Amino acid sequence: MPISCSYYLEPVDTGDLPRRFLEAFAAILAHSNYAPVLDVLSRVSAHCGRCAVTCPVYEASGEERDIPCHRSELLLKVYRRYFTAAGAIRARFGAPFTLTEAHINMLAEDVYRCTACRRCKNECPLGIDHGMVTHLARWVLAEVNIIPKALKVAVREQLDGKTHNTSAIPAAAMIDTCEFLAEDCRDTYGFNISFPIDREGAEYVFFPAVSDYLLEPDTLMGNAAVLTATGASWTIGTQYFDGINYGLFYSDRMLDRIVSKEADEVRRLKAKKVLIGECGHASRSAKFFIKTFCGGEDAPEVVNIMEYTLRALRDGKLRLRPDSINERVTYHDPCNIARSGWIVDQPREILRAICEDFVDMTPNGRDNYCCGGGGGSVSIDEIRPFRTRVGGATKAEQIRRTEATILVAPCANCKKQLREVCDDNGLGHVKVVGLHDLVLKAIEVPEFMRPAAATDEAKEG
Amino acid sequence: MDAWIDFARGPLFRVALVICLLGLAYRAGTTVYHIVTSWRAAGDRSLPIRGIVRATLSWVLPFRLLRARPVYSAASVAFHAGILLVPLFSIGHVALWQADLPIWWPTLVPALATWLAVVAAAALVMLIAIRVGARTARSLTSAHDQGVLLVLLAVTASGLLSAHPGWCPVDARAMLLAHLLLANLTLVLTPTTKIAHCIVFPFMQLLFEVGWHFPAETGRHVAVALAKEDEKV
Repeated sequence: MPISCSYYLEPVDTGDLPRRFLEAFAAILAHSNYAPVLDVLSRVSAHCGRCAVTCPVYEASGEERDIPCHRSELLLKVYRRYFTAAGAIRARFGAPFTLTEAHINMLAEDVYRCTACRRCKNECPLGIDHGMVTHLARWVLAEVNIIPKALKVAVREQLDGKTHNTSAIPAAAMIDTCEFLAEDCRDTYGFNISFPIDREGAEYVFFPAVSDYLLEPDTLMGNAAVLTATGASWTIGTQYFDGINYGLFYSDRMLDRIVSKEADEVRRLKAKKVLIGECGHASRSAKFFIKTFCGGEDAPEVVNIMEYTLRALRDGKLRLRPDSINERVTYHDPCNIARSGWIVDQPREILRAICEDFVDMTPNGRDNYCCGGGGGSVSIDEIRPFRTRVGGATKAEQIRRTEATILVAPCANCKKQLREVCDDNGLGHVKVVGLHDLVLKAIEVPEFMRPAAATDEAKEG
Repeated sequence: MDAWIDFARGPLFRVALVICLLGLAYRAGTTVYHIVTSWRAAGDRSLPIRGIVRATLSWVLPFRLLRARPVYSAASVAFHAGILLVPLFSIGHVALWQADLPIWWPTLVPALATWLAVVAAAALVMLIAIRVGARTARSLTSAHDQGVLLVLLAVTASGLLSAHPGWCPVDARAMLLAHLLLANLTLVLTPTTKIAHCIVFPFMQLLFEVGWHFPAETGRHVAVALAKEDEKV
């Protein structure tokens, strides 16, 4: 029986699939920290269903398979039967559960309906993290080659391709883009920005979501404007310049390999810190896993561009014009940076400094609703109706209630998803932008960034 | 009958209590052991301890619980209050504890203990009904889940009836024996079923946090185990 999902797959070898699935599961349990979690979870989960009322996917779909606890049970069933003594004893004396291709197919479909937003974790009295179980299930599936094609193709280019990034942008094209953006900023906004390339010994190496080079010029110009205005010591490396890490969505093996490339580039450039652009999953994967996979306490420190900007603002290195943005603005918390409470207040402080009419959604921060494109699903174009009308339905209502015309989403994936959510839910008038798109419009430009001053400096030089 | 009752609240109770305590100690011990070994294996050992403690404590009191699904949550709170307080602090139970442990022990006012037990029994009936009737809970509920609730309902109801012979439709001594046997069964079930969450609850947030702290060599070891070291993406 071929594996068939609502997303595209590369051909899956179904020969002896359950056995290979179990081998992969066993290898992962043997070499990771997941086994104790599954052991306790499989014993004490109350099955109360409270997670259902916190899940935006279930809220919109109403399908039992979208209840987080229900989804976790698909993997726990396999764990109990094949990896516990009780399961072995039961198998001997009763009618045991047997892992079949159909069960694997069901798991493959259901774990990619979850956006891995981990909202259910915050609402579980026992603290059960169904997002982790989904994460693990995706890894086991990946080891038998069940991975959404969109994610796999991107990671293939990033790790084994010629360009080493998910958008297949050659380094020369990236440099051209930076030069174009510098010109565009001068022409449109009237000041100079710079994109230092391969500068050794810089404090920060900058890794935006690489798709920003193609799709988010204002975000990148805003990032560069802040860094230029504050005199930051930063650079972009030509050997590796992609913050995106789809390994977080389907395989810890790939997650490891991708964050290692970031750390390697920082070391190659003899730099000190990783600076991640506006991207939720890129930030989380770097912040929490560079330390894990790249040297523990010796690993380069990871900073998100919003943290940098706020610090510069508080230190007086960056000046922003108050009330520069007159339209009503609201803010979407990307789950990967907000759920843990890491980046919640920082962007709001920046927005309040520049917006005349800022309104928050309810709920927000740690309790925010996912945009519906989390967990890599935003890259899977073939499931767009599900993403925007089911996964993103609750978010669409939240946006509508704010009556905002500008929606700030400091994440490449969230932005793509939210534009589609707005288009598909009658919110076409809402502009979805990055945080630094607005900062770019509000920045008080130091004199040295004015074209005349720059020309004078060049002459003096 | 009296001989059976003495046996049930004497040697049988002691055996059940020892099984319960040793079992819970084993559950807590293995959980802590796994947390420590996982943490030691982690590539990144920094933990947000304050956040973990805050998250754990936030569920100890019922306020946060009642924010969502208020009816189910209120039933859950009432049930937990009854089954925790009455066995430990009702006068009849304290007398049993003090028979073996000559220590001072606070007691509940009898009327309060009765009300707590009545509310707990009603809450248990409600929880069982919701699990049968409500769509979200029904699809998740296993025979194990309902079985545990039914045993707890039986032990609560039998205790209530044996403590109030006037309400009891059968011989109160027989009901007391049933209560004692069910209570002993509950003690044995505590570490062996999902009731064990009572002992692992304080460690759950920490356990999941440590679960995200992967060993640095996880990916490479899995690749070797699956002979995929040189495999392209």
